Amino acid sequence: MNDIKHHAFLFDAVRCIDCRACMVACSVENNIDMDKTRIWVSGIGVKGRFPNLQRGTLVYHCMHCEHPDCMSACPVGAYSKAEDGPVSYDPDKCIGCRYCMNACPFGVPHFDYDKGLFEGALIDKCTFCPQRIYEGQEPACVQTCPTDALEYGERDELIAKAHARIAEHPDRYIDHVYGEFENGGTSYLILSHIPFAELGLPALPETPINRVSESAVGLTIPVALGWTAVLSGVAAGVHLYNKKMEERAAAEKEAEEAK
Amino acid sequence: MKIDLTIQPRFRFHLSPLVWVLLALMGIAFVVAMVRFISGIGAISDLSNAYPWGFWVSFDLFTGIAISSGAFIIAALVYIFEWEQFRPLLRPTLLTGLLGYIMEVIALLVDLGRPERIWHYFVYQNFNSWLLAIGLYVMIYAAVMMIEFAPAVFERLGWHRPVAWIRRVMKPLVIFGAVISTLHQSSLGALLLIQPAKLHPLWWTPMLPVLFFVSVLAIGLAMTIFESTLSSRYFKRGLETHLLEKLALAIPFILATYLALKFGELAFAGELRYLFASGWLSALFWIEILIGSVLPLVWFAFKRVRQSPNALFTGAMAVLLGMILNRFNVSWFGVQHADPMTYLPAFMANVRYVPTLPEVAVSFGIFAGGILAFGLAAKYLPVFEPEHAHGAGS
Repeated sequence: MNDIKHHAFLFDAVRCIDCRACMVACSVENNIDMDKTRIWVSGIGVKGRFPNLQRGTLVYHCMHCEHPDCMSACPVGAYSKAEDGPVSYDPDKCIGCRYCMNACPFGVPHFDYDKGLFEGALIDKCTFCPQRIYEGQEPACVQTCPTDALEYGERDELIAKAHARIAEHPDRYIDHVYGEFENGGTSYLILSHIPFAELGLPALPETPINRVSESAVGLTIPVALGWTAVLSGVAAGVHLYNKKMEERAAAEKEAEEAK
Repeated sequence: MKIDLTIQPRFRFHLSPLVWVLLALMGIAFVVAMVRFISGIGAISDLSNAYPWGFWVSFDLFTGIAISSGAFIIAALVYIFEWEQFRPLLRPTLLTGLLGYIMEVIALLVDLGRPERIWHYFVYQNFNSWLLAIGLYVMIYAAVMMIEFAPAVFERLGWHRPVAWIRRVMKPLVIFGAVISTLHQSSLGALLLIQPAKLHPLWWTPMLPVLFFVSVLAIGLAMTIFESTLSSRYFKRGLETHLLEKLALAIPFILATYLALKFGELAFAGELRYLFASGWLSALFWIEILIGSVLPLVWFAFKRVRQSPNALFTGAMAVLLGMILNRFNVSWFGVQHADPMTYLPAFMANVRYVPTLPEVAVSFGIFAGGILAFGLAAKYLPVFEPEHAHGAGS
């Protein structure tokens, strides 16, 4: 066991050599089909002409956001955020609507498009290897990384470590830890020497992007009550007015007849 | 005072070529759906991890629900505003709305990955999710429309007492239905609030729910004009032009409000520069605005237009085409980015989504079923007749 209060990853693009051992380790550990993966490689690859070559590779899986958009979006609450970091998915609740895939700004949740009703199509994504981290081991991808491009530990400590590394080599790194504040913070932190957009990462605000959506939900009850009151008021008003006009017309008719 | 302006429909529902075509479309959709249930969504569609939602969501959900909105608008006119003159339009629009919602539910069962778990909607509920809200609104409002339409069935069966019971609760029921409808139509816009990183800023705004509600008022009125005109032609019955004229008069006011909100929001958010700078997305935006809002706004402002059945139909078509394009833009076209690399992970780059023929066939087959059901209901139920003199009245 370990005493990590907030599990997190730190990825360093300077150190990554694009060997993809993490992908293999993940698939073996979690028994993933050969044609699927929970880890992706993105970025610019190798650019330039020898000897002036530049590498820019991003290895990433679920970012384990502090305010997960998948969790906000899921109609049946199949996603949950543990207080100590991992965002997990419950395959027994999922109805396969794929709204989480739309909501996730990183495009992490993947769906079994090749499975019918009998095989049962589900969402697949990184679990943070709970079967390992709660036994005191590193996640499979981290343990296998040969260059320590992937590290694992306490989120605060990793953030401090990342800033220390930037301070040590200001010429080598962009002065920003991606994921420290993006989308309200993520548990997958990224250091890079090339712009984060070139690694394929979206530019996200510090407020979680589900904030607008969730505060709009809060308007439902006030709008429902207000609208009910307005429509009932109109209906009652119109009815009373019509009744009065009818009565007046009847009275006038009576008066005319009396003449 | 009720004036019977409708002509009793005297059509026969023989197996005309149109019926054969509808049946064939339904058969194809059934076969495709079976393939999907056995081999998976990927077997029949081009949906992918980069584009998890496509034609089905844009057509069945966003378009289907929008064109069903005539039901709550006409019901509100008749029961809340007590404009009895619109009663002849009530049942046809209610039927259109009810069938629209049923078609949406059927389409959803094909689109959902695990349709057999649809009951999870009642057991596991995440009230932060707009999709949960939408699912519940669909079910609640479909039930409301069933009750509102039930008198047509009961009258046909000669059950006068239940008709009288329903009449008694009709007004509160219509108010409740209008509130649920308002929430449902705007919640479709709210569904996209969670995608500011993916939906183009020409369409993404916190105002999406409001824009959806305002635009759906125009869509509902246009759909009522559209459906009445087609019914009158196919069933060879009179057209209530004097009623449609009044509906058409409201459309320019609604569209003017919509345009003011839309451009006001763009200006307020400082996003006017996207109007011409976003390539084909800007073009799609302008097509949507010009055909769906500007053109009908001007068109319906002329009295001669509003009094001509053909011109009414043309204007309604423009509103529908433009606004349906809006729903497609918001839920599909605008979700793509010109350069996915800068926004989306690399595995999404170079992934395109083009709906496959079987995918479209599912939606069209369900739609064909809806048209057929409308025809059958119009033949066997008092849909186009004025309400009978018996019963409590309203």
